[in-house]
Amino acid sequence: MAASGNLLTFVSADNVHIEVERDVAERSLLIKNMLEDLGEATEDIPIPNVNEPVLRKVIEWCRHHKNDPPASTEDEDSRRKTTDIDEWDQKFTQVDQEMLFEIILAANYLDIKGLLDVGCKTVANMIKGKSPEEIRKTFNIQNDFTPEEEDQIRRENEWAEDR
Amino acid sequence: MSKRSYIDDPLIPHPPKRPRTIPRDHVDQISSLSDELLIHILSFLPIPSLLACQQLSRRFHALAGDAELWKRQYYSRWVRPRARRLANARRTLFSHPEIEYSPRVSTWLDHGHLAKEGMSTNWKRQYRLRHNWSRGVCRVTEIEFPQSPRRQMLVSFCAGIVFTADSDHGLRAWPAEKPEHCLARIPLANSPSPAFPAPTAMAAASGPQQGLVDVTLGFEDGRFNIYTLDTTTLRLGVRFSCVECADGAISTMASCFPFLLLVSEHKVLSLYETKQDMDGAGGLLAPRLLTSLKADSILEPISLSIRATGPKIITSIVYSFYHIGCGWSLGIQELQFGLDGQQISSRLATTADCHYSTVSPGFRSRSKMGFRSASYGTGPGSRQNTTQSGPSISHHEPPTSVSYSHPYLLTSHADNTLTVYLVVSTSTSLSVKGCQRLWGHTSSVSAVQVSDRGKAVSVSSRGDDIRIWELESLVSSLGGQKALRDGNSIRISPENRLGRRHDGLGMVPEASLGEANAARSIDIPHRLARMRGCLGFDDERVLLLREKTAWTQMLECYDFT
Repeated sequence: MAASGNLLTFVSADNVHIEVERDVAERSLLIKNMLEDLGEATEDIPIPNVNEPVLRKVIEWCRHHKNDPPASTEDEDSRRKTTDIDEWDQKFTQVDQEMLFEIILAANYLDIKGLLDVGCKTVANMIKGKSPEEIRKTFNIQNDFTPEEEDQIRRENEWAEDR
Repeated sequence: MSKRSYIDDPLIPHPPKRPRTIPRDHVDQISSLSDELLIHILSFLPIPSLLACQQLSRRFHALAGDAELWKRQYYSRWVRPRARRLANARRTLFSHPEIEYSPRVSTWLDHGHLAKEGMSTNWKRQYRLRHNWSRGVCRVTEIEFPQSPRRQMLVSFCAGIVFTADSDHGLRAWPAEKPEHCLARIPLANSPSPAFPAPTAMAAASGPQQGLVDVTLGFEDGRFNIYTLDTTTLRLGVRFSCVECADGAISTMASCFPFLLLVSEHKVLSLYETKQDMDGAGGLLAPRLLTSLKADSILEPISLSIRATGPKIITSIVYSFYHIGCGWSLGIQELQFGLDGQQISSRLATTADCHYSTVSPGFRSRSKMGFRSASYGTGPGSRQNTTQSGPSISHHEPPTSVSYSHPYLLTSHADNTLTVYLVVSTSTSLSVKGCQRLWGHTSSVSAVQVSDRGKAVSVSSRGDDIRIWELESLVSSLGGQKALRDGNSIRISPENRLGRRHDGLGMVPEASLGEANAARSIDIPHRLARMRGCLGFDDERVLLLREKTAWTQMLECYDFT
């Protein structure tokens, strides 16, 4: 289905058509670059890797953040240091783990740096301050170390424990 | 425009739903992310969480140990704060006020040694190393050497190898990593005879090629030998032997290929050039005497250094002398040579003036003391000191040791302190600035060693108090009167010796209490003199040679890795 004027149509992996304003869609660098290459987009844009619920979440985020200033590279360091997430984004990321990881994958695929960082920070916050056992439990990670290996790694990393 | 869903269009089949045979809560979903994304997540984590993640699984062990992650941590913890500090102190020097992390091979601010071309750096290891240094955490290895009362063992540390020399065992090389086993040895004389002169000075420096270390030994009869250790084949051989080059015992040496600087007991300073033989035999041409200077009134301790800066070779002699106004002071004689050995200039500066706090920066006085060159005099000395107030620093006893690595000059004193100076050497002048006392030791400081990166290590004669100093903040406060904060030094605390570590009140370890106690009281002045030149350190280790009892010496290697 053709998009008219300022509206684009995304087609999700499960073949749902979703209309998006162009300025919202351009939060995705993938889409932005594609539109620049194509000039005027008249056809539906397939998003083959993203399912409808995830795509809707992504668009919701882009719509809320459409007026954000472009990410500057200068504050790379301060951006990394803090895992603070603003209130709206915190609410936004209150989803189950499956959805959270789907959002991260979609943000990575669509090249939406802000959303990717929000997603990754959310996961980082779930790891922070936890013991290895607690982290394994949180994410159901299988421990494939032998007890000896585990013991050795613990000893290797003892130096930082008094921080 | 209406939304279209696949339900309206029967032609399009339902995409297969993800099978959910196991409850969602029990699926490891995080592991379905790519390595790249997981590293992105890990990049938001602090060090303790990174280390926790290393314990999760094999995959996370590799990911959380990723070199780029740790390089980033290293930069934000150690490099960038320093760069900011420097930029604040010298705002005009940098066009970019902040240093950004960059994944490129970077040689930013003396960190070139970490990012060698074609070599991947283990940044986690580097981070841990810096972390351990900043806390004085290390492991100590001790090796005992029997000591004959007459002959002192010499020790030197270069390129991760410890060299020891004494008449009985010759020159020996030990790996600092595992100092229990000797790497290579060579006797000093072809046939062991008690008449052979004893070694009195040693200097080790990187040789003409990579993997070669030149060790120069000076002897009591004035001869010197140059040995070369090939660190790959572990072959140790004599490259050159020079008989009776100096008059009298060689007391101090410094080398920086192809130059060798030595001072004899009669205070004659000689600079030699030791070029390699051009026919490729690996031998040396006879060392060429570039210059020889006679000193009038310099006193021990002396520190020699040579550094090559582009077209010039700068040799410095730091010596002690007694100044009527402000007690024991230091003089620095700086001789500059062209690469052809032609002397360019000779300059002298003393620390006497900066001992007076009220002295103006432009005011400099000359001293008549020091080396007098036949070709180039230091000019007539003229004392114009009219300062009314007394000196802010006055040492009544000579320093116990001196260490100079441009621009840092440090002396240690029997009064539990160190004094640090900054040497300013420009094309037109040589001066000493920024004189400060360093407190921290609780007993007499017997040796100090400083590196050009501003790290210094000092040791108290009374045993286990070894301290690490970061002197760089002194550069930032140059000119201002901001003092180094107390607690700028870190005390080395070997974790494998916590049990028998004693406090700094001069208590003797129990093991050596019995026999050594009697000897100790008489031994102390003797030992103070002997602590000279027994301390060395590099990026990973501190090395210390000291007497354990009257008859044994202990080589201690403090490993921070």
